[in-house]
Amino acid sequence: MIIVKDLHKEFEDNHVLRGVNYHVHQGEKIVIVGPSGSGKSTFLRCLNLLETPTGGEIWFDGQLITDPKVDIDKIREHMGMVFQNFNLFNNLSIMDNITLAPVKLKLMSKEEASENALKLLTRVGLKEKADAFPSQLSGGQKQRIAIVRSLAMNPRVMLFDEPTSALDPEMVGEVLDVMKELAEWGMTMVVVTHEMGFAREVGTKVLFMDEGVIMEENTPEEFFSHPKCERLQDFLSKVL
Amino acid sequence: MQAWLSDVGKKFEMAFISGERWKLYFQGLGITLEIAFFAAIVGLLIGTVVALMKLSTTRSGKKTIWARIANAYIDIIRGTPSVLQLLIMWFIIMKSCKNGVLVAVLSFGINSGAYVAEIVRAGILAVDKGQTEAGRSLGLSKAQTMIYIVIPQAIKNVLPPIGNEFIVLLKETAIVGYVSLTDLTRAANQISSRTYEAFMPLIGAAVIYFVIIKILTILLDKLERRLRKSDNR
Repeated sequence: MIIVKDLHKEFEDNHVLRGVNYHVHQGEKIVIVGPSGSGKSTFLRCLNLLETPTGGEIWFDGQLITDPKVDIDKIREHMGMVFQNFNLFNNLSIMDNITLAPVKLKLMSKEEASENALKLLTRVGLKEKADAFPSQLSGGQKQRIAIVRSLAMNPRVMLFDEPTSALDPEMVGEVLDVMKELAEWGMTMVVVTHEMGFAREVGTKVLFMDEGVIMEENTPEEFFSHPKCERLQDFLSKVL
Repeated sequence: MQAWLSDVGKKFEMAFISGERWKLYFQGLGITLEIAFFAAIVGLLIGTVVALMKLSTTRSGKKTIWARIANAYIDIIRGTPSVLQLLIMWFIIMKSCKNGVLVAVLSFGINSGAYVAEIVRAGILAVDKGQTEAGRSLGLSKAQTMIYIVIPQAIKNVLPPIGNEFIVLLKETAIVGYVSLTDLTRAANQISSRTYEAFMPLIGAAVIYFVIIKILTILLDKLERRLRKSDNR
């Protein structure tokens, strides 16, 4: 579904991605872990071109999306993204946050979008917040809304960029629960996180990134019980 | 004491009453407000467009030709005195235009636009980058993200400095006397030279400016408070 070939990203004097190759298949839940500065967030942000790669190719559903001629807005409609800082639209109510994109992109009528939004809000237990504004919600609630906002576009894949890192500890669980449920529905997911428990439980593959490349890739059991490369052993000994 | 009072009374009468001079102040004020109002609108339009031009980037993040044009405009306008801009507009660029107020409106509007552009640009940059990223990640275009998400939030940011700019603009119109338009300041000046008495007309004009700007300030405060209602802080 997503094929990444020899992906490079350089900022001014900083070579962040140094040749990443990977193939994400339909239905997989890829969890990416690694030390900070390893390039994992940049890699994720390259997948929907929030960062423009400086080299290499990304294919999505058979389309070369790194081609400058591609209409990236159209591609992004099919790739949901959840951010560390939620990034709910501060000027809009929760309902408008969720319905803005489907309505403005003419994918749904206002009524359809509202109905769909209420259904999704009910699923994450936040129906009564439809008319609230983002500033009135807790971090965990904001992040659940952010997930709903992405889901409202019916994406083919969801990208999560450290979705629980900005949350108070007691709110991490409620967000992970929504993500687990999403995984059970069969959503294809790519998740950058520090939640090793989540990686073990939900991931179909776990990737270890360091120094701008994927150093190790394995099933969760093997990844955590028999890490091969030294860097990963070192990393796991620190975080587990 | 009585002599002093009657003297003040006489001066007041001379400055405002005799020959229906009070009408001159209000005619002048009319010109001042007319120029300031339309120049503010022109400035707001130019400023918004120029700010967006200056913020435009190519796909690889470089400045566009539009950004360079915007930069040049802002540089030139801010780098020259507004009196000189008015004189150039009046005696060179729009020499054949008979409508003096129109020339002044354009001159002040173009001048104010440069300052408004920087205010609007700052207001847009102050909106968290994550808001744009979230909008774009949903498939909204650059323009849609701007219109529905960034600009509504930027308006709250820019309201106080824009209000300030309007106040500066209103007072700045006092220089139209240079090109023989009779605004409030010039009217007061003319009356003082006709009556050989400066105190009453000049202080009178100052009071009128003050009252107008006080009213403007109160209105802007009200608007700001209304826009801030949606965020609790």
